[in-house]
Amino acid sequence: MNQFINDIPVSYILGLAGILFSIGVLGILIRRNIVIIFMSVELILNSVNLVFVTFSKALSHISGETIVFFVMAIAAAEAAVGLALVIAIFRHKKSTNVDELQSMRW
Amino acid sequence: MDEIIYMNIESSPSFLLFIFFGTVTVVTALSVIFQKNPVVSAVSLVFTFFSLAGIYGIMGALFIATMQVLVYAGAIMVLIVFVLMLLSQRTETLSRYRKHPIRLVLLSLFALGFFFLLYSALTTGVPHSEQKGKGYELTEYSFPIQGTGTVNTKGNVATVGASTYLDYLLPFEMISILLLVAVLGAVILAKKRLTEVEQTKDNVL
Repeated sequence: MNQFINDIPVSYILGLAGILFSIGVLGILIRRNIVIIFMSVELILNSVNLVFVTFSKALSHISGETIVFFVMAIAAAEAAVGLALVIAIFRHKKSTNVDELQSMRW
Repeated sequence: MDEIIYMNIESSPSFLLFIFFGTVTVVTALSVIFQKNPVVSAVSLVFTFFSLAGIYGIMGALFIATMQVLVYAGAIMVLIVFVLMLLSQRTETLSRYRKHPIRLVLLSLFALGFFFLLYSALTTGVPHSEQKGKGYELTEYSFPIQGTGTVNTKGNVATVGASTYLDYLLPFEMISILLLVAVLGAVILAKKRLTEVEQTKDNVL
């Protein structure tokens, strides 16, 4: 296992991915706009992609990069379905604030 | 460790580029979650995606960098911006936590602790994965079914392609079916009900 990828320490890249994941989690926690929550989910998926590429390069095993391709395809599918859901909910509720989506609470 | 890092700063431009792109990534990601206007958040997210593509490029994952620009900064951001414009989010209702700074600080501390847990978990995993990488050299990709067969490839894109179509053929086909189902589901979810369309037939186009 290489500790450096092109002179970049592996732990630095992992730290960047951790920071990005935490920012995504913080965005999901503090924002109430559903589209921005979607953007935070994209941030989380990107940090996971970064970890995949890092370990793929550090272990010199190509499967990580292949799986990143699949993660991107699933993120695209998730964005399509999720934003269609956002449009349907907006048509029903006239709002994108998740605090007002309480129809499944009993 | 520190001496090695200093040597790297002096001698390697890729480390400096990593510092630059990493700073841009973190700053724009923070801007995504702290901007009031959702369109500004979307533009910040585009910058985050581009700087991540730069980091992938520095690391040598050229195919992933290209896909990052095409899929994330292109397709997904077009979807998000399109939905933002359809919903016309000018009167953004602010988060409750903006009025409660103590809650904001507590949640930020939670995220910070979460980061340290994640970082320690990731970096303790690093020394335990010491075995040498197998199945991938820079110019050839070994494919186990044909016995001793190796596929000679040149460059990152060809290697990823060989891995996709030799090792991961079934997941690749399943991804295509998943994308088809997702697009159909998105169309069904986002279209109006049939009765509504009949009622408002004069207004449609």
